[in-house]
Amino acid sequence: MSDLLDALRDVVGAERVLARPEELFVYECDGLTLHKGEPCAVVFPGETREVQALVRACRAHGVPFVPRGAGTGLSGGAQPPPGAVVIECSRMDRIVEIDAENRLAVVQPGVVNAELSKAALRYGLFYAPDPSSQLACTIGGNVAENSGGPHTLKYGATSNHVLALEVVLPDGERVEVGSRSGWSAGLDLVGALVGSEGTLGIVTAATVRLVPLPEGVETLLAVFPDVVSACRAVGSIIGAGLVPAALEIVDRRTIAAVEASVYAAGLPQDAGAVLIVELDGASVALPGEVARVRELAAAAGATRVEVARDADERARFWRARKGAFGAMGRLAPDLYVHDAVVPRTQLARVIEQVCAIGDRHGLTLSNVFHAGDGNLHPNISFDRRNPDELRRVLEAGAEILALCVAAGGVITGEHGIGTEKRDFMGLLFGDDDLDAMRRLRAAFDPDGCCNPGKVLPTPRFCAESNPKARGYDRVPFA
Amino acid sequence: MSAAESARVDALQALAREVGAGLESLRHEPVSIDGIAVSTTLRPRDGDALARTVRALGQQGLAAVPLGGGRHLELGNAPRRVDALLCTSHLAAVEDFEPAEGVCHAGAGTRLGALRERIAPAGWELPLDAPDDATLGGALAAGAVGPRTQGYGAPRDVVLGLEVVLGSGERTRCGGRVVKNVTGYDLPKLYTGSCGTLGVIEGAWLRLRPRPACTRVLGLPERAAADALARGVAAARLQSARACALRGRAGEALSGVVELAGAEESVERDARWLAREQGASDADAQAPLRVRAEQLATAAPHGVRFRIPALPTQLAGVLDALDPQAQVIVYPGLCLCYASFPLASPDDAAGAERAFASVAAAARAALGTFRCESAPPDAKRGREVFGPLGGEAALARALKSRFDPHGVLSPGRFAGGA
Repeated sequence: MSDLLDALRDVVGAERVLARPEELFVYECDGLTLHKGEPCAVVFPGETREVQALVRACRAHGVPFVPRGAGTGLSGGAQPPPGAVVIECSRMDRIVEIDAENRLAVVQPGVVNAELSKAALRYGLFYAPDPSSQLACTIGGNVAENSGGPHTLKYGATSNHVLALEVVLPDGERVEVGSRSGWSAGLDLVGALVGSEGTLGIVTAATVRLVPLPEGVETLLAVFPDVVSACRAVGSIIGAGLVPAALEIVDRRTIAAVEASVYAAGLPQDAGAVLIVELDGASVALPGEVARVRELAAAAGATRVEVARDADERARFWRARKGAFGAMGRLAPDLYVHDAVVPRTQLARVIEQVCAIGDRHGLTLSNVFHAGDGNLHPNISFDRRNPDELRRVLEAGAEILALCVAAGGVITGEHGIGTEKRDFMGLLFGDDDLDAMRRLRAAFDPDGCCNPGKVLPTPRFCAESNPKARGYDRVPFA
Repeated sequence: MSAAESARVDALQALAREVGAGLESLRHEPVSIDGIAVSTTLRPRDGDALARTVRALGQQGLAAVPLGGGRHLELGNAPRRVDALLCTSHLAAVEDFEPAEGVCHAGAGTRLGALRERIAPAGWELPLDAPDDATLGGALAAGAVGPRTQGYGAPRDVVLGLEVVLGSGERTRCGGRVVKNVTGYDLPKLYTGSCGTLGVIEGAWLRLRPRPACTRVLGLPERAAADALARGVAAARLQSARACALRGRAGEALSGVVELAGAEESVERDARWLAREQGASDADAQAPLRVRAEQLATAAPHGVRFRIPALPTQLAGVLDALDPQAQVIVYPGLCLCYASFPLASPDDAAGAERAFASVAAAARAALGTFRCESAPPDAKRGREVFGPLGGEAALARALKSRFDPHGVLSPGRFAGGA
């Protein structure tokens, strides 16, 4: 072990290698704090060459490694297998270039999502993917997780905005894939890498698309007697061929939590749910779209529809949505943020059943979700110190995933599989389907040493199934 | 019949027996796949038969080129071996269309025209810019692009899920039917545009687009290339622009076509701007389709056609570097330039050499990459039609060997010899 630490220190300097237990504690998990593993070291490279050298050092010592961005992921994607080296990319935080004329930016992986949009603002451009953690999360992590956000409905997720990547492969080689134009001559390796949860390599630079700020924005807040009628309104809006920038639902329990918190937005506490609709685009077209959304919301049962009069009011509407997770911190010590997707036509039915599952298990379950994408986020407030409650939380989660799959949906829309859901992959995919994914992984990482134990359910690679064969027996393996 | 041909016929007969009634095996006059004469077409009747056929091809040591509508068969390097065409025409059902959801599922052999007819009455359109007689599987495998791809998004962004028979014969699913999904690796993106070299697409879930309330096509008057390109970039960036193409010879003036689509107010406002600022006037509504047909046509009667990616600020340099006689179509909103060159004959080696050299020079003025999308077999020989690939080539070969270990599907056809 000390040989490995020496090798790591040789690459980045002693001050950029953490190895004492008290220093490693915070790196045992990401935002999914239920799953933990203690790394043997955390290293902070500052440039691509250092990442290459660190990867080679890990390989030489037979130790797996895990790339990490800001650690805001919610599925355990950055959770180290015990004894692994965490390669933390926060020092690589430079916006290398903003090419406003061609509407693209080149960034290092440690650039914070919101900082990129802030830097692009002066050119009338922004970076569209906006996960809720955008003030902290990094582009490298977004690429690994194919992060979404409220505005994915119109603008797409990270995958739609990454043009090219520089990647350090699991053997330490550096490779550039994709093109600034977005058109690759060969296979769509950018498409394969985005969302691969750091298992195919470590992104050391990303070329991303910037989009023009919308000419006009209108934000509506529609109040409904119950969440089911709000879901119906979403179905009507999609079915009518409108493509809002965002369609977000906040349910009664979430409203109560928000209104009792510092995020209070003045929402009606007797409402069953509110629907936030954001329309953007050509100013001349917006009045017609606002009128159409008003009609559809009213027809679905909205008791009131407000249109934000100015930026402050827009911010107030969004506070209810964006402050929801923070507000839930008041309800219980722990929060399990679930993530699943169903066809939008199934939303109303599925949400009712999700609430019923929570009730049946005696849990505090609230919903705040990207309704326009059918992307549910049932949130369960709980106390992990109560083993029985924790068991019920996990059982309810498993039932919710099975329900969503039975409705034609999938088990994650934006948080990823990580360690959280790898054993649920079988709900959706058969052995041959999963084997195809293993082939992709094996083409990049035949020895399974790059972020092992993620995405795929059954240990299969020799490094995962037989640590000894790979010389990984020096560290306890997950 | 040569010994090799005789062995091939025996192996194909053994394959037909192995797969049985699920496979229609047709002998026909030879058709040329990059100069290789192919006399057998295999048409599996369903997905299961497709999987058994691919497995049997591997067992018999045979290789096949997947065939959809035959619209993009010229794309790729000459395969190392072809014993049969593997046609998806029996897999042609639109199995699921959910108007309220804006998604649909169809078999790979479904003609895009049939799919369009099915979804249009409900107010949806198919965001794939390929001809009506192209098949869904073919358009996705080829990563088909046309002028409307600007508004539609690339095929990779339209596909929600795929059923794919791998080169090793397994019948697999990936992705899903919902519009947002990060469940496992994004294999649909890997398969889309891979020319059927990793697996044969059996069916696909697609995200549809609402049919725009209003469309309008305008022509941009002929202007000197640099001016036309600058104006074309501005036109392509209008709120409602869903297609913008500039056409002409590289060394001469270019004329343009812009299609606006969306809310009526937005379309009318942008049309007024184009008329005022660029002298645009109304044009035939079919003009974008004609541009696409021209883009897909090889310079008659023989010729070579290339795709050169270039950023808006690089387009003028690309045209400057190209042979002035090259016929070009530029999509400024897509960062793409298509260039085609006539050849005196299919074996006009000097003409092909000039064309490749001209395109390589043009690519150096942009991002250094290009691909040859159509060329006579002699012009392809000894060349990598996907242009310089760098480090991607080794990964492409590693993927090919994992997904198609026996080299059943168009071996050697894809980038990097995959």
